[in-house]
Amino acid sequence: MGYEEIFPQNDLKGWHANAAKRFASPFVDNYHDRIDVDPIMLSNAAVHTGFTIRDFYEKPELGIHCVGYVAELFDLLPVTHWFFSLPWVRELGVTLEYKDTLPPVSTGPILDPEADLDKIEALEPIGKEELKKGSTIPLFYGLYDYVQQNLPHTLVPISYGFDLCGAGSELIGVENFIMWTFTEPDLAHKLIDTYVETSINGADVLSDKYGMAMLIVGSILANNDIFADEQVEEFSAKKMRHYVDQCFRRGAGPQIFYHLCGNHETDYKVFKKNLVWSPFNVLHIGYKGQSEFPSELLKEEFQDVTTIMGSVDTKLMISPNPKKVYDKAKETLLAGRDAKKGYILGTSCETPPYTIPGNLLALTRAARDFGTYGTW
Amino acid sequence: MEYIIADAVVEVIEKRGIKVDDVKAVIEGAGDDKITNGSRFIAKKEIGDVTVYADYTVDGDKCTINAGYCHKMKVLDIVLVGDDTEWTYVKNGAVVKAGHTNLTYLGATRSGPSLVEPTSGASWFEEYLAAGALTTAEGLFQQKRA
Repeated sequence: MGYEEIFPQNDLKGWHANAAKRFASPFVDNYHDRIDVDPIMLSNAAVHTGFTIRDFYEKPELGIHCVGYVAELFDLLPVTHWFFSLPWVRELGVTLEYKDTLPPVSTGPILDPEADLDKIEALEPIGKEELKKGSTIPLFYGLYDYVQQNLPHTLVPISYGFDLCGAGSELIGVENFIMWTFTEPDLAHKLIDTYVETSINGADVLSDKYGMAMLIVGSILANNDIFADEQVEEFSAKKMRHYVDQCFRRGAGPQIFYHLCGNHETDYKVFKKNLVWSPFNVLHIGYKGQSEFPSELLKEEFQDVTTIMGSVDTKLMISPNPKKVYDKAKETLLAGRDAKKGYILGTSCETPPYTIPGNLLALTRAARDFGTYGTW
Repeated sequence: MEYIIADAVVEVIEKRGIKVDDVKAVIEGAGDDKITNGSRFIAKKEIGDVTVYADYTVDGDKCTINAGYCHKMKVLDIVLVGDDTEWTYVKNGAVVKAGHTNLTYLGATRSGPSLVEPTSGASWFEEYLAAGALTTAEGLFQQKRA
């Protein structure tokens, strides 16, 4: 039995038709219904459907079907996604391990910063043909072919660069990498660049097959809890620009989702001048210090160049207090909803796997109450 | 002026829905309104509802057309100015910068990465963007506005 046999079809003429029109609206200045809600739902969709976090990651087709199905329950986005934060690293030699309560994680560094210097200096990105024989491309081919077959109304082929700095650091371990950004910056660049060029080749392969590929790229390890603004710019923002520019030159894009995870208290300032802004991009920043990144500031700084996505703290999503979620969502919506190039209500990162259903309803309810176009 | 244009270039130009004569008209009408990196020139002209670009090289009275491309999105104002590029605006000799420019299409205004010259306010889009991301974006605008 295929996974498609355990899910009823979405309500295509009702829910999906309306959600699709709403989803498009902020990008084309043709406002419809209300502000969209995107809690970046991943394994939470599997939990809602009776499966496990491990199921979500070990069985990508099942996972993405859960996302497509559950989106209707909470009136979320009409498109599907499935991802974890370390694409392409297996091709570079990293082993990933599946866990019961986490996305796949690295079993550890594969290069010793002292003993393997010659290997590190000789690192080369993985080429397109080699990538096709690896695990990431077949995974995404399988995933998107499944969606094309069973959930075609939700298909958006996506290529993930994801955390360019963080993924590169996995080769020698995060602690060693952070040290190298101070002591051996050229080698730190070499690690990131190897990952970045491999990711660009991956986007190229996917765009060859699907005609375009939305790009998701972020700055996760590179944030103000770890680095000063100058380092975030050098080891992350400039790499993100290079990644998107090169992907565009190879036919990927034009849609981009920029995800700045963690604390971007002051480093947010380095991204506007460095990133590539396309006609279809969304920028999401998780936190400023310990609090959600304020939508007022997000709007003030970035509304000229991109659709923005505001945040409700993920901690609230697992707290048994839907009213608190609703009130925070209201505050966020009121601050950001009139952004010049559109606004989306989100959570500060992936909504946790055990997000309480009533809290998701609180987000959507707030968007209906305070995000309806034409009432403000 | 004698034009030199490879068959493969003609084929790509025609696939993009423009005529070689349109590209020649861009070159002939450009005057100083073009950018150069020393060996190549890029000029543009609005023809009907599209902006047509010519990427070409001049050697005496011979002009080699390297590429012709277009976009339907209408170029508006510059929104961001970044680093210097290898390009110079022939009209005023200013160094052209990497930047972002607003574009409008089907009632929506969005920005895209471009080459900009802030003093004059002029912007240009390179071939890979016009024929890639912008063309795809135009298709998405058409779908999403439907």
